[in-house]
Amino acid sequence: MVYASATQPAVPEGGTVLAERPQDAPVEMITWVTIVWDDPVNLMSYVTHVFMTYFNYSKSKATKLMLQVHNDGKAVVSSGTREAMETDVNAMHAYGLWASLERAE
Amino acid sequence: MSRFKRSGGQLLITLADYEEAVLESMVEQLLGLLQGDGVGESSGDSFAQWEAEMAAPSELDTSDPVIARLFPAAYRDDEKAEAEFRRFTEEAQRRTRIEQGQVVLDALLETNAGRDPAVVREADVEAWLKTITAIRLSLAVRLGIETAADAERLEQLDDDEPQAVLYGMFEWLGYFLESMIAKLH
Repeated sequence: MVYASATQPAVPEGGTVLAERPQDAPVEMITWVTIVWDDPVNLMSYVTHVFMTYFNYSKSKATKLMLQVHNDGKAVVSSGTREAMETDVNAMHAYGLWASLERAE
Repeated sequence: MSRFKRSGGQLLITLADYEEAVLESMVEQLLGLLQGDGVGESSGDSFAQWEAEMAAPSELDTSDPVIARLFPAAYRDDEKAEAEFRRFTEEAQRRTRIEQGQVVLDALLETNAGRDPAVVREADVEAWLKTITAIRLSLAVRLGIETAADAERLEQLDDDEPQAVLYGMFEWLGYFLESMIAKLH
């Protein structure tokens, strides 16, 4: 993610780029992801239903994500602010899905 | 065998008397687990129960593997963030699960031991799906189903093996869930 200050140009006269970025980018600029992990209990139809119902995804998108969870062991199902991802993870837990959040790579 | 029928906005589920009894008892067990020892022993007096809960909100016993599966970690590598997340979500999550289980239990109690179909109102569909799923997850933990191979092993059990009954219930709830979802989309 690019952090740019509107008032202070990052390139001084000499043409050298100054490392003036704060150590951490502002919190709201970091993207987080919700990951759903495969488990041997939840039915494929159920997982698809959850993705359609909670995220409002189309049947084909929900099915694709469900198959990714099933075949690859996990899938990123949503991304956004940390707060939004906590909400999504909590909702997935309520459905009995195995979900966690982490910073996007 | 149970039957599922869509009628207007509702779903009607016809259950055999023994199916209704088994489902009812499984929902009660789930509620007992979620309410923690002592608190949930339905005294019929909901005010007394509420009072007891307010006085001493019992902590969820996360060392119980079933509880651990129903309330998994949101942060896999950050203990501090995980503790914070639990502090803000766990109690509401538990309360919602209890309310949803109660919705299912009430509908089952209105079937007159399976003589009338269980009525699942449109607004209650998710409560049913989540409650049945929670029961399947807890049965899976008790059965030690951690991989697809575990399920296959249980599939091969003779009917007189102790785990076979539990596995039969697990399978039946899978059929139940599948049938419900088939009527939704």
